Amino acid sequence: MATPFASMLDSLTRQRGVTAALVVSERDGIVVDSNLQIGQDGDRVAALAASLYRKARLAARAAGMGAVSFMQLEAPGGRLCAVGGGALVLVVVAESTVNVGLVRVELLKAIDGLSAAGGDG
Amino acid sequence: MMQMAVVEPWIEAPLKHFVSETGAELALLLHPSGQVLAQHGFARAVDVMSACALAAGIHASSGELGKLLDGRPFRGLHHVGRERQIFLAEALWPRGTYIFLTVFGSESSLGLVRLYFDELVAALVAAAPKEVAPTTPALAEHFERDLNRNLAVLFGRA
Repeated sequence: MATPFASMLDSLTRQRGVTAALVVSERDGIVVDSNLQIGQDGDRVAALAASLYRKARLAARAAGMGAVSFMQLEAPGGRLCAVGGGALVLVVVAESTVNVGLVRVELLKAIDGLSAAGGDG
Repeated sequence: MMQMAVVEPWIEAPLKHFVSETGAELALLLHPSGQVLAQHGFARAVDVMSACALAAGIHASSGELGKLLDGRPFRGLHHVGRERQIFLAEALWPRGTYIFLTVFGSESSLGLVRLYFDELVAALVAAAPKEVAPTTPALAEHFERDLNRNLAVLFGRA
């Protein structure tokens, strides 16, 4: 059965270079829904990405910078992007060659759907 | 405040790694009989003794509940409080079954705790002395003596 997040995750993983997309509970770091490639450890990515996003959000607030709209982690093997919508975080894992601008636009578009589908909180 | 104490030294490094990565406030490794093997964050022996007794009781009762409902014991429990959460799970390794209890706050998360709990169990399996025979069930006549010995080791009275 399709979840409320299925079409959002499908549209993200259709982007060239995106290897995984996950909806994660920010507080618990638990996967709510995901599109993963075989062999990817969604639980591990979810726990660590949610922790990172939560700390980034708190750091931005502590520095008086306001809310975090988009977070990107760049590593030699790829990129991790995240946006928050209420109690949920939308996480994308991508290759280093991915068009980050396009991923960012898709993530920010998806945020409205994320909040509407249960992320308010 | 007493930060970490272990009855057997090979437990210390894996437990330290778990605590540092998760930011757990309290951690307790115990035998299903309630005898403590390691603790982090407790200041008093009586608190360790109480937590061990309660954890062993919860583990036993949730195991039986799991058998009734699902035909097999429940292996883990997560409880969310207003400010703190507890995670209690079985740690299985060649020496037998142990119980792990941890308390964490808003700095951590269930996902992180579950992730590093799996790593903790793997690290304990790797670090455990191979020549030691599997643990046998605690005998009632030795229980209090063994419990007091372990508490004395943890709190520096041995």
